[in-house]
Amino acid sequence: MSRFIATSAIRGAHSVIADAEATLKDALQKMGPETPVAFTSTSYFLPVIFGFTGQKITKLGDMPAALQHARSLLPPVPRDNLWLPYLGETLDAGVATLFAEEIIEGIRFAKGQQPEQYNGHKLNGPIDDVQMRSWGIQMVDGRMPGFAAIVGAAKSNEVAVEIVRQLQSRGQLVFLCSQSNGRSIIDQLRESGVDLGYDTFTVTFGTDTYSAVYALGYATRAALSFGNVAAGDIRKILLYNKFRCFAFVLALGQVDDIKYATAAGAINYGFPVIADTVIPNILPSGVTRYAHVVSLPFDDLPGKDDLEKAQRLVQRCVEIRGIKIKIAQVPIPVAYGPAFEGEVVRRENLRIEYGGKGSMCFELLTTKSLDEVEDGKITVVGPEIDAVPDGAKVPLAIVIEVAGRKMQTDFEPVLERQIHHFVNGAEGIQHIGQRDIAWLRFSKSAVNKGFKLKHLGDILHANYHNHFGAIVDKVQITLYSDPEKVKQLMGKARAIYSERNIRTAGLTDEAVDTFYSCSLCQSFAPTHICVINPERVGLCGAYNWLDCRASYEINPTGPNKPVAKGKVIDAAKGEWEGVNKFVYENTQMKTDRFTLYSIMDQPMTTCGCCECVMVLLPECNGFMLVSRDDYGMTPCGMTFTTLMGTVGGGLQTPGMMGVGKYYLLSKKFISSEGGIRRVVWLSKNLKESMEEELKAVCEREGVPDLLDKIGDGSVATTVEDLLPLLEKKGHPALTMAPLI
Amino acid sequence: MALSGIEIYKHLPKTNCKKCGFPTCLAFAMKVSQKAIAITACTDLSETARAALEAASRPPIRLITIGGDSRKVEVGNEVVMFRHEKTFYHPPGLMIKLKDTAPLEATLKTVDEVANLVIDRVGLKLSLDGFAIQNESKDAATFARCVEAVKAKADLPLVLMSPDPAAMEAALEKSARSRPLIYAATKDNWEKMAELAKKHSCPLVASEPASLDELAALTQKLNQAGVEDLVLDPGPQGFSSSLNTLTQLRRLALKKSFRPLGYPIITFPAETTGSPEEEVLLAGQQIAKYAGIIVLSRFSPATAYPLLTMRLNMYTDPQKPIQMSPGIYPIGAPKPSSPLCVTTNFSLTYFSVATELEASGFPSWLLVCDTEGLSVLTAWAAGKFDAEKIAKSVKAFNVEASISHRSIIIPGRVAVLRGELEEELQGWKIMVGPPEAMEIGSYLKRYWTN
Amino acid sequence: MPVEIPVEKWAGKVNEVKLGGNGRKSIVIGGETTLPFLKIDGAMPHRPAIAVEVDDVMPADWSPHLIAAWGDALEDPAVWAKKAAEYGADIIALTLDSAHPERGNTGAAEAKKTVEKVLAAVDLPVIIIGPDVAEKDNEVLIAASSVGRGQRLALGNCVDKNYRSVAAACIADGHVAIAKTPIDINLAKQLNILICDIGLAPDAILMDPTTGGLGYGIEYTYSVMERLRLAALIGDKMTSMPMICNVGEESWRQKEARATSGVPATWGDHQERALAWEGITAVSLLNSGADIVVLQHPRTIALIKDAISKLMA
Repeated sequence: MSRFIATSAIRGAHSVIADAEATLKDALQKMGPETPVAFTSTSYFLPVIFGFTGQKITKLGDMPAALQHARSLLPPVPRDNLWLPYLGETLDAGVATLFAEEIIEGIRFAKGQQPEQYNGHKLNGPIDDVQMRSWGIQMVDGRMPGFAAIVGAAKSNEVAVEIVRQLQSRGQLVFLCSQSNGRSIIDQLRESGVDLGYDTFTVTFGTDTYSAVYALGYATRAALSFGNVAAGDIRKILLYNKFRCFAFVLALGQVDDIKYATAAGAINYGFPVIADTVIPNILPSGVTRYAHVVSLPFDDLPGKDDLEKAQRLVQRCVEIRGIKIKIAQVPIPVAYGPAFEGEVVRRENLRIEYGGKGSMCFELLTTKSLDEVEDGKITVVGPEIDAVPDGAKVPLAIVIEVAGRKMQTDFEPVLERQIHHFVNGAEGIQHIGQRDIAWLRFSKSAVNKGFKLKHLGDILHANYHNHFGAIVDKVQITLYSDPEKVKQLMGKARAIYSERNIRTAGLTDEAVDTFYSCSLCQSFAPTHICVINPERVGLCGAYNWLDCRASYEINPTGPNKPVAKGKVIDAAKGEWEGVNKFVYENTQMKTDRFTLYSIMDQPMTTCGCCECVMVLLPECNGFMLVSRDDYGMTPCGMTFTTLMGTVGGGLQTPGMMGVGKYYLLSKKFISSEGGIRRVVWLSKNLKESMEEELKAVCEREGVPDLLDKIGDGSVATTVEDLLPLLEKKGHPALTMAPLI
Repeated sequence: MALSGIEIYKHLPKTNCKKCGFPTCLAFAMKVSQKAIAITACTDLSETARAALEAASRPPIRLITIGGDSRKVEVGNEVVMFRHEKTFYHPPGLMIKLKDTAPLEATLKTVDEVANLVIDRVGLKLSLDGFAIQNESKDAATFARCVEAVKAKADLPLVLMSPDPAAMEAALEKSARSRPLIYAATKDNWEKMAELAKKHSCPLVASEPASLDELAALTQKLNQAGVEDLVLDPGPQGFSSSLNTLTQLRRLALKKSFRPLGYPIITFPAETTGSPEEEVLLAGQQIAKYAGIIVLSRFSPATAYPLLTMRLNMYTDPQKPIQMSPGIYPIGAPKPSSPLCVTTNFSLTYFSVATELEASGFPSWLLVCDTEGLSVLTAWAAGKFDAEKIAKSVKAFNVEASISHRSIIIPGRVAVLRGELEEELQGWKIMVGPPEAMEIGSYLKRYWTN
Repeated sequence: MPVEIPVEKWAGKVNEVKLGGNGRKSIVIGGETTLPFLKIDGAMPHRPAIAVEVDDVMPADWSPHLIAAWGDALEDPAVWAKKAAEYGADIIALTLDSAHPERGNTGAAEAKKTVEKVLAAVDLPVIIIGPDVAEKDNEVLIAASSVGRGQRLALGNCVDKNYRSVAAACIADGHVAIAKTPIDINLAKQLNILICDIGLAPDAILMDPTTGGLGYGIEYTYSVMERLRLAALIGDKMTSMPMICNVGEESWRQKEARATSGVPATWGDHQERALAWEGITAVSLLNSGADIVVLQHPRTIALIKDAISKLMA
């Protein structure tokens, strides 16, 4: 806590309370205690006082008690020679200030001095309940993030207008009050011809700082109306605003004691205070979600002129409050939507190609810190499309840098894989592959409509915000079409890919305490649940542990939930208390135990979409694996389809289960029964397409020649044919402990 | 508790002899564990293994067959309380009640109408199952004559209803080869009825309205008398008692493996309802809630159709997407100039589109492509709903003969197919419809100008 | 031999939701500790309610049997609502169909007027349904919400696209939200969680699992409802909301109920078939857990009312 700020705020609070006491004393004498007091059309009395204490002030005579309470909150002004943290005291002083300010404004209402007449205009004063409700609904449904309470005056009229425009464009309500050096932002906007009023989301409160209390009154009423909170339950009111109302205070110009005192009141609500002048920073979070007080001296902001600095100022305010961005329309010159995802750009309509055979193209998404990323910045390094001849093949690097308070490096590959899906949504643009085998084809029709390389950036920027806003706060994209640059960066990218591979491979079940569930298939297999651990992919093959974790962070109410492992019951079979409990609760109590490494004892349930089915071949003392795209007969006497009918639908069938094909490569692959040594038959296409990986696994498991001993559809489709082959080749399963 | 396939396998001879019809003993064991085949299909089973397995593999609700070779109703052998747990396997028989006192001509007219009632519902033929003939006359000869005449008119499954063993005997003489259901053995006549059931190898209803205890006592007596194929009649059941009693019976069979009550149930919804309208509602409830044979007091195609539809719906397998037969369907009464839309053969997709087209005020043609029961986006992603498939369907179902124009509306979700489809269907105008079925009406209003 | 009836003991309970009050008649639904009407396992403290659909515009394409049954009342929602009350409605389900962009595109002002009128005409609890276009729903439901402040209306539909606005209006004005999801248990649960996250109390939410009419997907609805109800009874708080089914519209819009000509003779008498269509759909969904069925035909109201009484007996 800054001692300077604490001292100023507490001093300011003393002064406001003294003022309120004098004003109230005078008013009581002149008008009597029965004089009614009410803000414009509200049923929340003096809302801050009502919210904090539940006290309904309806007349002057109700006020002394509230003011007394404010006075009792007031700490002494810190002495020069004594250093204390002061945070609590400062916050209390802020609350006391708000009480006193509200009392002063209440008396002004009683005297008919509010809403204020100013320079021939009537200011709005406090917001009435009807409007509060209408805006409140928009705040709850997310159309309106919150409000910016602007106190003081901007550097110039142009800057004032730009700040307000920037806020309006983000759907932010703008409250205007107070002055700086005899100027108010209200004057600046009026002089520039800006329409002020409910219709333009701008509200004029008053020309002094006291009127800023209307902003907190508004916030209090929003919590009472929409937060299911009772008056007097101040903790809930403040928390509601901290987490739901994305408001902040923007102090333009010099910050005096009263502004500090009022700002301290706002901080109680979780609203950070940003000043465009030099004041001390209070950066750590606590009462607010992120920083408390941030100084952004206007002239030091980046930008070539004041307008750019103004834009930057608002951008920073939005970041500090943690307001999420949604981009309704992807700003590109061609149609965009999921219907275009599968589109093919054919040779005759091909305008330009990035990557593919004989060319280089890669995409890389990495995490940076919040201040290293400028949101929405899209840079093209090298020639744009118009500088490249028809039908050319050009190298490209798509480098995406994201920053987010909840971003983790583990999510990078998950986000990176979305490029394919995002880019393909554009009509006339085709994306194939990923990482360093990415390949993009732009059609003539898309380029003729004005599609440029930089639009890839727009697509990615919009989509990362829209789909991953929960973890991504800022995104910047650089598109390199300069061959030298691409070559140079390729090495770096490959190093990162291989680092990720190693990390994924090294991720073990023992290293984590949480697995993830997937309930996507419950719509047709209600009693099926997938539990996905780092060393076992979901049985559909589409979701691994990292995907599920990211999916949960992005959408906590979605199909993927964390499953705390809990106490281990049987490490060899992979059974945990936490997993069993979760499974029981999420299979309609149909399955109460689940082992993750065994197929014989309480194996996982199977839904209808598994990549492969694994089946016991009792005669061979081992298992066979048949993949979905193998239509042939198998040694167990059933085809894949028949097997699905037997094992699918959420059943637990010892000796049979659905698996994702990459589970074969895991160290935990039916480790309870002996792992890959037990595999006696594989679909031919599996054996061929995964040959390299399988060989590596056999090496790892100390049976380097195993793959050759495993049968497939080309040598045996019955047990009678398979068994002699296994015997001839000396398959290890035959001599292992009997399975039955 | 059902045994797992592996546990059953342990008891099998493990010879893979294939005599059961399955290629391996394990494959057979898996089927037995699903109760899809009886353990007795294995002829080499040792006595001890048979004893160990038979109890575990016996269906908790006995499968009862009524009717002869030409038409029969199979009911029972259900394994779940709720259809989402697996599926309901054997749709209840819907029987129309006839009285032997009614003029024979009128009766036969009804028989004829019922027998000829075939409702075509999206490629499926729906029909009622047969008749319950009541010995209202109390006269054996009249009863037998009526049964004989009905049977001669239409050889559909029958329920013979008479408390009098002599009348039953007379009717059975005329119809036993068609395996009618004998209604009913009561605590007063059960010995004689059991005799008849045994003699003619017909299933028998055990009727005891007093209590489930007494009903169970009766079925046990009938078992001891050598009758295994039973149907339960727990007495007249109104909305509430039907639900509660039939649920209890299903629970006893499934959860307690309580053999004496492990049989399908016959209901007479008219007995407790005051009007035909109400009877239909109770019958509808009984289709969903556990009836095996439902006897309706009167025949009306207007109520048969919704009941048959209800039965079809409740007894579809919830774990398999229901497929429509591919083809071109007229929605409303389309003319050659009416719009042509195309969609997939997942039933819910079809119904969403058909319903909206129906409501749009535009009689239309709906071309349904074979996508193996997948919805539009899923089928498209799986490569089962592409330009080639649509073009092939247009040709296969001779769409060009039904319509005079050459415009086809594709689902908005697969707008991407437009280009390819233009190539596949030369000379056609490919129109991209809305992404949601709900918007079809608005779409046609805006864009359909033919 | 004494038969021992197996009894299920459920840990969970369906939420009790109150509609109406504050000068208006009130009704409570939900509260079950057993499967529908199954007395042996637990209690069903409140009978399922019958809501009757009233549209703010004359329905354009209704079956002649519906039009004949209601007559001139169809021209005025207030008259219609009164008549529905006479026919035995427990709740009026007012549909602001005229706000649909293609059926009048009326806005907040008209919605307010209509809602005021209907609220004045009857003292029954009222459900307000928007035109089923998320944006317009927001506009008219928020307007309706302020008019009916404190009268605990039910506002629908609250779907994934607009749930925040509708839920916010419900919080602000003390109403109940109807959370509608497309026949999927997990989506239903997810929407309930999201609505609760906003701050609406769980006892101010009804679920509409989306009704498939008889022959048009009823089996999907039936099973999803059974699963939702079982989950609630097991103790899942986020599926414990009472359910509402739009039976009337989903029955009468089908050609089996609507088409007057050009249907096969095997379909039988039109009116008899149409009434059975609506009635069977209603009875089936009541048996799978519906706490409110919205009906359209006066005769069905009487029949279902009677069936409910018998099921509760």
